[in-house]
Amino acid sequence: MQWVVAIAAFFASAVEFVEAFTIVLVVGVTVNWRSALLGALAAAATLALLVATLGTALVQWVPLDVLRTVIGTLLLLFGLKWLKNAILRYAGLKARHDEQAIYEETQAQLRARGGVDATSSRFDLFGFLLSYKSVLLEGLEVAFIVITFGVSAATSTVSRSSGIASAALGALAAGLLVILVGALVRVPLANVPENTLKFVVGIMLTTFGTFWLGEGFGVVWPLSDAFILILAAIYLGASFLLTVWLKRVKKQQRAQEIGNQPAPTAEQTKEVMQ
Amino acid sequence: MKVIKAIYNFIVGDMVILIGVALAVTVLALINNVGVLAPLKSFSGPFLVIAVLASLVATLSREAFSSQR
Repeated sequence: MQWVVAIAAFFASAVEFVEAFTIVLVVGVTVNWRSALLGALAAAATLALLVATLGTALVQWVPLDVLRTVIGTLLLLFGLKWLKNAILRYAGLKARHDEQAIYEETQAQLRARGGVDATSSRFDLFGFLLSYKSVLLEGLEVAFIVITFGVSAATSTVSRSSGIASAALGALAAGLLVILVGALVRVPLANVPENTLKFVVGIMLTTFGTFWLGEGFGVVWPLSDAFILILAAIYLGASFLLTVWLKRVKKQQRAQEIGNQPAPTAEQTKEVMQ
Repeated sequence: MKVIKAIYNFIVGDMVILIGVALAVTVLALINNVGVLAPLKSFSGPFLVIAVLASLVATLSREAFSSQR
Protein backbone atom coordinates (compact mmCIF):
# COMPACT_ATOMS: atom_id res chain seq x y z
CA MET A 1 0.00 0.00 0.00
CA GLN A 2 1.43 3.39 -1.02
CA TRP A 3 -0.05 5.80 1.48
CA VAL A 4 0.97 9.05 -0.23
CA VAL A 5 -0.74 7.93 -3.44
CA ALA A 6 -3.82 6.72 -1.55
CA ILE A 7 -4.12 9.97 0.44
CA ALA A 8 -3.73 12.19 -2.65
CA ALA A 9 -6.36 10.15 -4.51
CA PHE A 10 -8.62 10.27 -1.43
CA PHE A 11 -8.53 14.09 -1.19
CA ALA A 12 -8.94 14.64 -4.93
CA SER A 13 -11.79 12.14 -5.12
CA ALA A 14 -13.55 13.57 -2.06
CA VAL A 15 -13.80 16.99 -3.74
CA GLU A 16 -15.15 15.56 -6.98
CA PHE A 17 -17.55 13.14 -5.25
CA VAL A 18 -19.02 15.99 -3.18
CA GLU A 19 -19.75 17.86 -6.43
CA ALA A 20 -21.27 14.78 -8.08
CA PHE A 21 -23.24 13.91 -4.93
CA THR A 22 -25.07 17.26 -5.07
CA ILE A 23 -26.54 16.42 -8.50
CA VAL A 24 -27.35 12.81 -7.57
CA LEU A 25 -29.10 14.09 -4.44
CA VAL A 26 -31.18 16.63 -6.33
CA VAL A 27 -32.20 14.01 -8.91
CA GLY A 28 -33.07 11.60 -6.09
CA VAL A 29 -35.21 14.15 -4.26
CA THR A 30 -36.81 15.79 -7.30
CA VAL A 31 -37.17 12.89 -9.78
CA ASN A 32 -36.73 9.63 -7.84
CA TRP A 33 -33.99 7.69 -6.11
CA ARG A 34 -34.16 4.73 -8.46
CA SER A 35 -33.14 6.75 -11.52
CA ALA A 36 -30.56 8.75 -9.55
CA LEU A 37 -28.82 5.71 -8.07
CA LEU A 38 -28.93 3.72 -11.31
CA GLY A 39 -27.31 6.67 -13.13
CA ALA A 40 -24.61 7.00 -10.47
CA LEU A 41 -23.89 3.26 -10.46
CA ALA A 42 -23.70 3.13 -14.27
CA ALA A 43 -21.22 6.02 -14.25
CA ALA A 44 -19.15 4.36 -11.50
CA ALA A 45 -19.01 1.16 -13.58
CA THR A 46 -17.91 3.13 -16.68
CA LEU A 47 -15.14 4.80 -14.66
CA ALA A 48 -13.98 1.51 -13.14
CA LEU A 49 -13.79 0.02 -16.65
CA LEU A 50 -11.78 3.02 -17.84
CA VAL A 51 -9.27 2.80 -14.97
CA ALA A 52 -8.92 -0.96 -15.36
CA THR A 53 -8.38 -0.96 -19.15
CA LEU A 54 -6.32 2.22 -19.50
CA GLY A 55 -4.36 1.54 -16.31
CA THR A 56 -3.51 -2.01 -17.34
CA ALA A 57 -2.52 -0.93 -20.85
CA LEU A 58 -0.19 1.75 -19.48
CA VAL A 59 1.32 -0.62 -16.92
CA GLN A 60 2.04 -3.34 -19.46
CA TRP A 61 3.14 -1.49 -22.58
CA VAL A 62 4.80 1.81 -21.74
CA PRO A 63 8.39 1.99 -20.38
CA LEU A 64 8.68 3.63 -16.93
CA ASP A 65 10.90 6.56 -18.02
CA VAL A 66 8.58 7.55 -20.89
CA LEU A 67 5.61 7.17 -18.59
CA ARG A 68 7.18 9.39 -15.93
CA THR A 69 7.95 12.14 -18.46
CA VAL A 70 4.49 12.14 -20.05
CA ILE A 71 2.54 11.63 -16.85
CA GLY A 72 4.78 14.05 -14.92
CA THR A 73 3.88 16.70 -17.51
CA LEU A 74 0.16 15.91 -17.27
CA LEU A 75 0.24 15.95 -13.47
CA LEU A 76 2.03 19.28 -13.54
CA LEU A 77 -0.62 20.76 -15.86
CA PHE A 78 -3.42 19.35 -13.77
CA GLY A 79 -1.82 20.34 -10.45
CA LEU A 80 -1.09 23.92 -11.55
CA LYS A 81 -4.72 24.29 -12.70
CA TRP A 82 -6.05 23.19 -9.29
CA LEU A 83 -3.48 25.27 -7.41
CA LYS A 84 -4.24 28.39 -9.45
CA ASN A 85 -7.99 28.10 -8.86
CA ALA A 86 -7.52 27.42 -5.14
CA ILE A 87 -5.21 30.45 -4.72
CA LEU A 88 -7.64 32.68 -6.64
CA ARG A 89 -10.48 31.51 -4.37
CA TYR A 90 -8.42 32.11 -1.20
CA ALA A 91 -7.61 35.62 -2.44
CA GLY A 92 -11.29 36.30 -3.17
CA LEU A 93 -10.70 36.75 -6.90
CA LYS A 94 -12.86 33.76 -7.79
CA ALA A 95 -16.18 32.66 -6.31
CA ARG A 96 -16.08 29.58 -4.10
CA HIS A 97 -18.04 26.51 -5.11
CA ASP A 98 -21.52 26.80 -3.61
CA GLU A 99 -23.14 23.35 -3.34
CA GLN A 100 -26.37 24.81 -1.96
CA ALA A 101 -26.72 27.18 -4.95
CA ILE A 102 -25.99 24.34 -7.42
CA TYR A 103 -28.57 22.17 -5.63
CA GLU A 104 -31.26 24.83 -5.82
CA GLU A 105 -30.47 25.74 -9.43
CA THR A 106 -30.62 22.11 -10.62
CA GLN A 107 -33.81 21.51 -8.65
CA ALA A 108 -35.44 24.54 -10.27
CA GLN A 109 -34.41 23.27 -13.73
CA LEU A 110 -35.86 19.83 -13.03
CA ARG A 111 -39.11 21.30 -11.70
CA ALA A 112 -39.36 23.63 -14.71
CA ARG A 113 -39.20 20.53 -16.89
CA GLY A 114 -42.44 19.44 -15.22
CA GLY A 115 -44.30 16.14 -15.22
CA VAL A 116 -42.14 14.56 -12.55
CA ASP A 117 -43.58 12.60 -9.67
CA ALA A 118 -40.90 12.26 -6.98
CA THR A 119 -42.92 9.63 -5.09
CA SER A 120 -43.04 7.31 -8.11
CA SER A 121 -40.35 4.65 -8.41
CA ARG A 122 -40.76 4.51 -12.20
CA PHE A 123 -37.49 4.72 -14.15
CA ASP A 124 -36.98 8.23 -15.53
CA LEU A 125 -34.50 8.48 -18.42
CA PHE A 126 -33.80 12.18 -17.93
CA GLY A 127 -33.03 11.70 -14.23
CA PHE A 128 -30.85 8.69 -15.02
CA LEU A 129 -28.88 10.60 -17.68
CA LEU A 130 -28.43 13.67 -15.49
CA SER A 131 -27.12 11.55 -12.62
CA TYR A 132 -24.91 9.49 -14.99
CA LYS A 133 -23.45 12.57 -16.68
CA SER A 134 -22.61 14.41 -13.46
CA VAL A 135 -20.94 11.39 -11.82
CA LEU A 136 -19.06 10.54 -15.04
CA LEU A 137 -17.79 14.08 -15.64
CA GLU A 138 -16.70 14.65 -12.04
CA GLY A 139 -15.35 11.10 -11.84
CA LEU A 140 -13.23 11.47 -14.99
CA GLU A 141 -10.89 13.79 -13.12
CA VAL A 142 -10.66 11.21 -10.34
CA ALA A 143 -9.98 8.42 -12.85
CA PHE A 144 -7.27 10.54 -14.43
CA ILE A 145 -5.61 11.19 -11.06
CA VAL A 146 -5.89 7.53 -10.04
CA ILE A 147 -4.26 6.31 -13.26
CA THR A 148 -1.51 8.94 -13.52
CA PHE A 149 -0.67 9.04 -9.85
CA GLY A 150 -0.83 5.29 -9.40
CA VAL A 151 1.30 4.48 -12.42
CA SER A 152 3.93 7.14 -11.80
CA ALA A 153 4.34 6.38 -8.11
CA ALA A 154 5.85 3.04 -9.01
CA THR A 155 9.45 2.52 -8.01
CA SER A 156 11.71 -0.41 -8.71
CA THR A 157 10.55 -2.09 -5.51
CA VAL A 158 6.84 -1.42 -5.86
CA SER A 159 4.93 -2.62 -8.90
CA ARG A 160 2.89 -0.22 -11.00
CA SER A 161 -0.30 -2.23 -10.43
CA SER A 162 0.18 -1.68 -6.71
CA GLY A 163 0.34 2.09 -7.32
CA ILE A 164 -2.95 2.04 -9.22
CA ALA A 165 -4.53 -0.21 -6.59
CA SER A 166 -3.46 2.21 -3.80
CA ALA A 167 -4.87 5.20 -5.69
CA ALA A 168 -8.09 3.32 -6.49
CA LEU A 169 -8.50 2.36 -2.82
CA GLY A 170 -8.05 6.01 -1.79
CA ALA A 171 -10.71 7.07 -4.32
CA LEU A 172 -13.06 4.28 -3.24
CA ALA A 173 -12.71 5.27 0.43
CA ALA A 174 -13.56 8.89 -0.45
CA GLY A 175 -16.56 7.79 -2.51
CA LEU A 176 -17.91 5.59 0.29
CA LEU A 177 -17.37 8.34 2.87
CA VAL A 178 -19.23 10.94 0.78
CA ILE A 179 -22.11 8.52 0.11
CA LEU A 180 -22.30 7.55 3.80
CA VAL A 181 -22.28 11.14 5.08
CA GLY A 182 -24.66 12.20 2.29
CA ALA A 183 -27.09 9.37 3.04
CA LEU A 184 -27.11 10.35 6.72
CA VAL A 185 -27.62 14.09 6.30
CA ARG A 186 -29.53 14.11 2.97
CA VAL A 187 -28.57 17.72 2.22
CA PRO A 188 -25.87 19.13 -0.08
CA LEU A 189 -22.48 18.77 1.60
CA ALA A 190 -21.86 22.50 1.72
CA ASN A 191 -19.59 22.43 4.77
CA VAL A 192 -16.84 20.33 3.19
CA PRO A 193 -13.75 22.55 2.88
CA GLU A 194 -13.56 22.03 -0.87
CA ASN A 195 -11.07 24.78 -1.54
CA THR A 196 -8.66 23.53 1.13
CA LEU A 197 -8.87 20.01 -0.31
CA LYS A 198 -8.29 21.33 -3.83
CA PHE A 199 -5.34 23.37 -2.59
CA VAL A 200 -3.76 20.34 -0.86
CA VAL A 201 -4.27 18.16 -3.93
CA GLY A 202 -2.94 20.96 -6.18
CA ILE A 203 0.25 21.11 -4.08
CA MET A 204 0.61 17.30 -4.14
CA LEU A 205 0.04 16.98 -7.91
CA THR A 206 2.42 19.85 -8.69
CA THR A 207 5.06 18.42 -6.35
CA PHE A 208 4.90 14.89 -7.73
CA GLY A 209 4.56 16.16 -11.30
CA THR A 210 7.77 18.18 -10.92
CA PHE A 211 9.59 15.28 -9.26
CA TRP A 212 8.63 12.66 -11.85
CA LEU A 213 9.07 14.94 -14.83
CA GLY A 214 12.57 15.72 -13.54
CA GLU A 215 13.31 12.01 -13.07
CA GLY A 216 12.06 11.31 -16.59
CA PHE A 217 14.74 13.72 -17.85
CA GLY A 218 17.43 12.15 -15.67
CA VAL A 219 17.49 14.82 -12.95
CA VAL A 220 19.17 13.51 -9.81
CA TRP A 221 17.33 15.18 -6.94
CA PRO A 222 19.33 15.83 -3.78
CA LEU A 223 18.28 13.55 -0.87
CA SER A 224 16.54 11.30 -3.43
CA ASP A 225 12.81 10.71 -2.64
CA ALA A 226 12.98 12.92 0.47
CA PHE A 227 13.30 15.91 -1.87
CA ILE A 228 9.54 15.55 -2.50
CA LEU A 229 8.96 17.08 0.95
CA ILE A 230 11.27 20.01 0.11
CA LEU A 231 9.45 20.54 -3.19
CA ALA A 232 6.10 20.51 -1.38
CA ALA A 233 7.45 23.07 1.13
CA ILE A 234 8.68 25.32 -1.71
CA TYR A 235 5.28 25.24 -3.47
CA LEU A 236 3.42 25.68 -0.19
CA GLY A 237 5.50 28.73 0.73
CA ALA A 238 5.17 30.23 -2.76
CA SER A 239 1.40 29.68 -2.74
CA PHE A 240 1.09 31.37 0.64
CA LEU A 241 3.06 34.41 -0.57
CA LEU A 242 1.02 34.55 -3.79
CA THR A 243 -2.25 34.45 -1.85
CA VAL A 244 -1.11 37.32 0.40
CA TRP A 245 -0.01 39.31 -2.66
CA LEU A 246 -3.29 38.71 -4.53
CA LYS A 247 -5.34 39.71 -1.48
CA ARG A 248 -3.40 42.98 -1.39
CA VAL A 249 -3.97 43.49 -5.14
CA LYS A 250 -7.70 42.94 -4.67
CA LYS A 251 -7.81 45.45 -1.81
CA GLN A 252 -5.99 48.05 -3.92
CA GLN A 253 -8.31 47.46 -6.89
CA ARG A 254 -11.36 47.91 -4.66
CA ALA A 255 -9.94 51.10 -3.14
CA GLN A 256 -9.24 52.40 -6.64
CA GLU A 257 -12.80 51.60 -7.77
CA ILE A 258 -14.25 53.49 -4.80
CA GLY A 259 -11.89 56.40 -5.48
CA ASN A 260 -12.99 56.55 -9.13
CA GLN A 261 -16.70 56.77 -8.30
CA PRO A 262 -18.00 60.37 -8.75
CA ALA A 263 -18.73 62.22 -5.51
CA PRO A 264 -22.49 62.70 -4.83
CA THR A 265 -23.89 66.08 -5.80
CA ALA A 266 -25.47 68.40 -3.22
CA GLU A 267 -28.94 67.48 -4.52
CA GLN A 268 -28.28 63.72 -4.20
CA THR A 269 -27.02 64.22 -0.64
CA LYS A 270 -30.13 66.22 0.17
CA GLU A 271 -32.38 63.45 -1.22
CA VAL A 272 -30.62 60.83 0.89
CA MET A 273 -30.94 63.01 3.99
CA GLN A 274 -34.69 63.36 3.41
CA MET B 1 -12.00 21.01 -32.81
CA LYS B 2 -14.63 20.60 -30.09
CA VAL B 3 -12.91 17.43 -28.87
CA ILE B 4 -9.50 19.12 -28.70
CA LYS B 5 -10.99 22.03 -26.80
CA ALA B 6 -12.72 19.66 -24.38
CA ILE B 7 -9.44 17.80 -23.73
CA TYR B 8 -7.59 21.11 -23.30
CA ASN B 9 -10.19 22.35 -20.81
CA PHE B 10 -10.18 19.04 -18.96
CA ILE B 11 -6.41 18.85 -18.51
CA VAL B 12 -5.35 22.45 -18.11
CA GLY B 13 -7.76 25.09 -19.46
CA ASP B 14 -5.12 27.79 -19.16
CA MET B 15 -2.86 28.86 -22.02
CA VAL B 16 -0.22 30.46 -19.75
CA ILE B 17 0.26 27.25 -17.76
CA LEU B 18 0.29 25.15 -20.94
CA ILE B 19 2.93 27.33 -22.63
CA GLY B 20 5.02 27.55 -19.45
CA VAL B 21 5.11 23.80 -18.92
CA ALA B 22 5.64 23.11 -22.65
CA LEU B 23 8.61 25.50 -22.70
CA ALA B 24 10.10 23.89 -19.59
CA VAL B 25 9.75 20.40 -21.09
CA THR B 26 11.31 21.57 -24.37
CA VAL B 27 14.31 23.13 -22.62
CA LEU B 28 14.77 20.01 -20.45
CA ALA B 29 14.59 17.79 -23.55
CA LEU B 30 17.24 19.97 -25.27
CA ILE B 31 19.55 19.89 -22.24
CA ASN B 32 19.12 16.12 -22.05
CA ASN B 33 19.68 15.39 -25.73
CA VAL B 34 21.99 18.05 -27.19
CA GLY B 35 25.65 17.40 -26.47
CA VAL B 36 26.69 21.07 -26.31
CA LEU B 37 24.12 21.70 -23.56
CA ALA B 38 25.20 18.70 -21.47
CA PRO B 39 27.12 20.85 -18.91
CA LEU B 40 23.77 22.45 -17.99
CA LYS B 41 22.36 19.10 -16.89
CA SER B 42 23.07 19.76 -13.22
CA PHE B 43 20.83 22.85 -13.41
CA SER B 44 17.85 20.90 -14.81
CA GLY B 45 16.19 20.39 -11.41
CA PRO B 46 16.35 24.03 -10.21
CA PHE B 47 15.34 25.18 -13.71
CA LEU B 48 12.23 22.99 -13.65
CA VAL B 49 11.14 24.28 -10.21
CA ILE B 50 11.71 27.91 -11.26
CA ALA B 51 9.79 27.35 -14.52
CA VAL B 52 6.82 25.89 -12.62
CA LEU B 53 6.78 28.80 -10.17
CA ALA B 54 7.13 31.32 -13.00
CA SER B 55 4.15 29.75 -14.83
CA LEU B 56 2.06 29.96 -11.65
CA VAL B 57 3.00 33.60 -11.03
CA ALA B 58 2.34 34.49 -14.67
CA THR B 59 -1.12 32.93 -14.81
CA LEU B 60 -2.14 34.43 -11.45
CA SER B 61 -0.91 37.87 -12.53
CA ARG B 62 -2.93 37.60 -15.71
CA GLU B 63 -6.05 36.71 -13.71
CA ALA B 64 -5.47 39.48 -11.17
CA PHE B 65 -4.83 42.26 -13.67
CA SER B 66 -7.17 41.08 -16.43
CA SER B 67 -9.23 43.97 -17.80
CA GLN B 68 -12.33 41.75 -17.83
CA ARG B 69 -12.28 41.46 -14.05
